[in-house]
Amino acid sequence: MFQILIVEDDRALNNSIREHLILNGYSAVSAYEADTAFSVLHRQPIDLILSDIMMPEIDGIEFASRVRNLSSTIPILFLTARDDFETKKLSYQTGIDEYLVKPIDLDELVLHIQALLRRSQMASQREISVGNVHLNVDETTLQIDGEDVPITFREFSLLRKFLTNPGKTFTRAQLMDEFWSIDTDSSPRTVDVYMTKLRNKLAKAEGFSIATVYGLGYKAVLK
Amino acid sequence: MKKHRLSWEQIERVVYTVNSFYFLVSCVILAVLPASLSKEIPESHRKKNVKHTIGSAFGVTAVFSVMDLIRQYYTMDLPLQEIKSALEKVQHGDFDIHLSRHFGSQFSQFNPIIDDVNLMAKELNSMEMLRSDLIANISHEVKTPLSSILNYGTLLQQKDLSEEKRLEYAKAITEQTRRLSSLVSGILRLNRLENQNIYPNRQEYDLSEQLIECLLSFEDSWEQKSITIVNEIDDDVKVNADPELLGLIWNNLFSNAVKYCNEGGTIRVRLKEQDDQVTVTVQDDGIGMTQETVNHIFDKFYQGDTSHASEGNGLGMSMVREILNIVGGDIAISSTLGEGSQFVVTVPQEMP
Repeated sequence: MFQILIVEDDRALNNSIREHLILNGYSAVSAYEADTAFSVLHRQPIDLILSDIMMPEIDGIEFASRVRNLSSTIPILFLTARDDFETKKLSYQTGIDEYLVKPIDLDELVLHIQALLRRSQMASQREISVGNVHLNVDETTLQIDGEDVPITFREFSLLRKFLTNPGKTFTRAQLMDEFWSIDTDSSPRTVDVYMTKLRNKLAKAEGFSIATVYGLGYKAVLK
Repeated sequence: MKKHRLSWEQIERVVYTVNSFYFLVSCVILAVLPASLSKEIPESHRKKNVKHTIGSAFGVTAVFSVMDLIRQYYTMDLPLQEIKSALEKVQHGDFDIHLSRHFGSQFSQFNPIIDDVNLMAKELNSMEMLRSDLIANISHEVKTPLSSILNYGTLLQQKDLSEEKRLEYAKAITEQTRRLSSLVSGILRLNRLENQNIYPNRQEYDLSEQLIECLLSFEDSWEQKSITIVNEIDDDVKVNADPELLGLIWNNLFSNAVKYCNEGGTIRVRLKEQDDQVTVTVQDDGIGMTQETVNHIFDKFYQGDTSHASEGNGLGMSMVREILNIVGGDIAISSTLGEGSQFVVTVPQEMP
């Protein structure tokens, strides 16, 4: 069962979130201030942190920054009343994974938590299987129907990104930012070429397909 | 002459005026005096001349001084007094003032000041009216969901409530709260924009990419309605502008397009650059708007189609207009009821 730490100084809100998470099958711990949160983090394994920004003494951003010093991978989700761009920017720069604005529907919150947990799990997974396709992250190999399919490192990274974020559309610019270094002479057209090559290699793949979304970007669609 | 208290400045001015004239007159006398004192004129006449001269000196000085003081009164004191009382009124919250420029074109030194004071009062007055209107509107917009919440909350406390009713009431409360929250966010954002004699955050960035990413953020919504997107966004269109401000515009347009589009409809998004301007067109084939709605579209809180009232807060388009004012852009709206709408936004490539 996943362990979620809720850091929020408004007790009513904190407790209502905790109750809802427990109802949804998670294990949740409430901390009403950053110091308590740190004690919890040192005492037990936590899979995800849900934190407010405006808190007395140590605010959410300071808290997140310290957490990042301890762990660069633990998913952090901010739930805050502040909806200005500067705060959002600063939060992401500090290294949080998701920024949500209050008030938020509790069910929607659970969806975000689910997605974050799945991503974090998959990111740490060394093997990814979808349908008859199997990816081995350590060896960067691709197997379809048990047979090895030659794949370049870049193609592998692209495929892995799509499969670990099913249903999410990535624009060419986003893919370029992540997988192409700045000095290469590449344009969005290059991404298209790569995607065509990748699709060819995936001709025999079942269980998913790589879709073009109205020319806006690409995504993996699970069947 | 209107009565007014003599201030030190005014006494100084009188003394100065008199002195100046006296000085002038004395110079003239000095020039003329030798002639009246010349040896050729008999002794008795000479003495009389001197007396007359000195007498005239005082006389002329007095006359000129009085004339000039009267001139000063009408061209400086009076207008200054009027401006001063008008400004005092404004300071106390009475913006209903108007100064007239009746001092003639020769005394036009105060006219620019008078014009400015009139303009300032007019602006303050209209701002004051807008502000009270806005506050009244906001109060109303907030009170409505609040009273719903109160009612449903009371209803929920009934004993022996059927499960069905309980759910219905609870859902209604959640819905209204969501609406209130969206309203509050909208008001805050709009307020920030209006107060911002903002120094917008100009930077060079790829508008094509921003438009695409913004559009994609609505992917879930448009997929749910099986809406087709026609992508006519030119690649690599760069602008030098504030991405946060422009982003709010696109967000609004897309949100509306998806909201008012029918199941299975189409949304067309076009981006073109031409002559230092970029044009973004968002077109849908949804329910469209009446001319009445189009006319009022920028009014705060106005929602033409109230069947979607709970999905928005009527502030989106006000905000869009506010932003366009700031960045020096423009918007053209055309719509046919039952057939769809088109929004064309033009923005300078280099934000002023």
